[in-house]
Amino acid sequence: MAEIEIRNLGIDYRKPNSDEVFAAVDDISLSIAAGEFVSIVGSSGCGKSTLLLSVAGLVKIARGTITIGGRPVSGPGPDRAVVFQDASLLPWRTVLGNVRFGLEMQRWTGGDLTERAMSMIKLVGLARFADYHPHQLSGGMRQRVNIARALAVDPQVLLMDEPFGALDAQTREIMGGELLRIWEGDKKTALFVTHDIDEAIFLSDKVVVMGRNPGHIKEVIAIDLPRPRTQEILDTPQFTEYRRRLRAHLAADMAGMHFMEEAA
Amino acid sequence: MAMVATSARDTGKSRAARNWRPDRSTVISMLSVAVFFILWQLAPEMGWVNGRFTSQPTQVLVAAIDVILNDDFFYHARISLAEFSLGFALALVVSIPLGVLLGTSRTARHLIDPPLMALYVAPTLVLLPILVVSLGIGMASKVAIVFLNALFPIVVNTIAGMSEADPQLIRAARSFGASKLDVFVRILLPGSLPSILTGIRLAVGRGVMGVVVGELFVSQAGIGYQLNTYGSAMRIDRLLVYALVVSVFGYLLTVSVRALENRVSTWRPE
Amino acid sequence: MITDVFMRRQALILGTMSFIIIGVLWQLVVDFGIVNPFFISTPSAVWQELLVQLQDGSLLVNTAATLYSFALALGLAVVVGIGLGVLAGWFRDAEAALEPFIWFKYSAPTVAFYPLFVAWLGYGTPTIVAIAFLFALTPIYANTLSGIKNVDRDLKRVATSFGARPHDIFFRIALPGAVPVIVAGLRLGVGRALTGVVVAELFGANAGLGYSIAYYAQMLQTSRMMVPIVTVILLGVILTQALSYIEKRTEAWRVVHDN
Repeated sequence: MAEIEIRNLGIDYRKPNSDEVFAAVDDISLSIAAGEFVSIVGSSGCGKSTLLLSVAGLVKIARGTITIGGRPVSGPGPDRAVVFQDASLLPWRTVLGNVRFGLEMQRWTGGDLTERAMSMIKLVGLARFADYHPHQLSGGMRQRVNIARALAVDPQVLLMDEPFGALDAQTREIMGGELLRIWEGDKKTALFVTHDIDEAIFLSDKVVVMGRNPGHIKEVIAIDLPRPRTQEILDTPQFTEYRRRLRAHLAADMAGMHFMEEAA
Repeated sequence: MAMVATSARDTGKSRAARNWRPDRSTVISMLSVAVFFILWQLAPEMGWVNGRFTSQPTQVLVAAIDVILNDDFFYHARISLAEFSLGFALALVVSIPLGVLLGTSRTARHLIDPPLMALYVAPTLVLLPILVVSLGIGMASKVAIVFLNALFPIVVNTIAGMSEADPQLIRAARSFGASKLDVFVRILLPGSLPSILTGIRLAVGRGVMGVVVGELFVSQAGIGYQLNTYGSAMRIDRLLVYALVVSVFGYLLTVSVRALENRVSTWRPE
Repeated sequence: MITDVFMRRQALILGTMSFIIIGVLWQLVVDFGIVNPFFISTPSAVWQELLVQLQDGSLLVNTAATLYSFALALGLAVVVGIGLGVLAGWFRDAEAALEPFIWFKYSAPTVAFYPLFVAWLGYGTPTIVAIAFLFALTPIYANTLSGIKNVDRDLKRVATSFGARPHDIFFRIALPGAVPVIVAGLRLGVGRALTGVVVAELFGANAGLGYSIAYYAQMLQTSRMMVPIVTVILLGVILTQALSYIEKRTEAWRVVHDN
């Protein structure tokens, strides 16, 4: 049975200071099985983050339905946790306090909060930094805290909105490997938004390609590469073939954009 | 993606504005003012407060007409206005060049910064009694206190504006062969204009305050003198008329400078 | 780093020098007969007077009286300013209801209402505290309002995603997030409260630094008058510096974004 079932989803947004309503995404249908790692790629403005946030229950659904484990999504819930693009840590709390934050908000009853938070901090490799404040950490470390905070509440579904978007290329690669290592541990259902094609292929079982105006799904590509994966996989012919296919998609989308700008 | 975060409340507001219905906040603001005036009017009549101490909106209105018609209002207003204008003009003439000098010379800034900051953060108005002893109880001491009180915000903000100038922009200009004068006239001055105007706006409030404090302390004429007179005569209605006149004057001047500020700030980078 | 230390030392040396230069110039213009000492006194005469006023305890008494009114006024302004600021920052309707009055307060010179307070409360501490309270209120209120109102959107969204309720967002995100801005408002408020106290004391009091300044001014005793004047300026600098120090420490609470 599908863990996440999205049916004919449409999300509208109103232009600021105007009555005009646009569809951010329209007629999206997607099934994600339990334990599957799915990435969404697409050029900016294709609504990939909107799609993710709607699964998180943070965006109003205009048309269609989203169900998780059979229950319709009507708002945020303890079955899901979001890793945001910006680490968005509370600057006045330590690493430990920040990882505890999600547990506190959910009124976690599964045992001692500090113990639970500490084990997650160890998992992301920050045990030595538990007492540090966010401004004392690097961007990569802040994202680790961001991930630990989401994992701490033990969600069934992990939603990640370009979590490595602000990191440099090298840190990004390391974080991708780390994320896979952690994910292999208990294989939570994961939805991952990125604009980095290699990252998407490397992490995922399935890559969803989205297009613009309004945001829609162009293709869902199954990534048939063996797990556990290491960086070596990036140089295999299969990987290169996936990369070529995805690039062709995005390039077509870019060309379309230029055409539209000229027409406008 | 930011548009997704637009809250329902924001969109609701803009829609209301479109249909020319006053939005909720405006209605509440107007109601709140209305309630204040009604309470003020009713309180003495219901015996909640002693009307001798609070007056009433209607009384103040009558007093306003009375003051303008038969109270030498224009004589006193002219004196205060003259004190303010002279002091403020003097402050402008001195503070902007001083700020430019301090903003462009590091040595000068280090030398003058500590006493300047001390006078900026400390209550400049304590110098008033010295001024009165030196310059007498007439207009001169008020001009001086307006000058002193208005001076420091402009100096400090001019310095800030000068040092805010983008070094990359200056380097780019120099690479095109701009002289120091060119850099000053074409980059530093326009770049610091918004900041200078901010200083002037703050100085307006402090200047108006200077006049009032100066005249309240000791004077023979002026709005502050009238405030004192009606205060000790317990003519609250007239007292309020004069206090409101000063407030409106300060408000109008501040708003004008702010309008100017917004105009020159439009091309200022975020 | 090295140039930084050097610059800071240079600033310190030049800054100290500037005060010495001011003192020497002050003494010289009088000694050379350029300015009549009756008007501005001299540093040496002021020093003599300082010792006298320290010895007879009058400086201490007046400073204590001023600080007492200052503390009362600031305390009131903190309670009312932060209270109303939080209310207006969190509830849009409260902001709308308060806005016209704050608007008026911004443009009206509070001192113009001094005679009104005298009529209500008489000369003395209550009037002084009332004026200083009104002086300090505006920046504290305005900063609290903007601190609470501009609660960080990203943090709010994170909290919402974990199922936070409105009171969670208020106490755990909005309030701590507003602290640096509120402290900045306090720094402004401290300076203004002191100004308010001293100005009101100038007009009418029976103790306090402002009273002492006005008293010696009436006696035309410039040297004696200079002692409380210098004390007030020093107090202003010390109090503002103290708040600036606290402000720097709360800077770490400001939200940083990676992109």
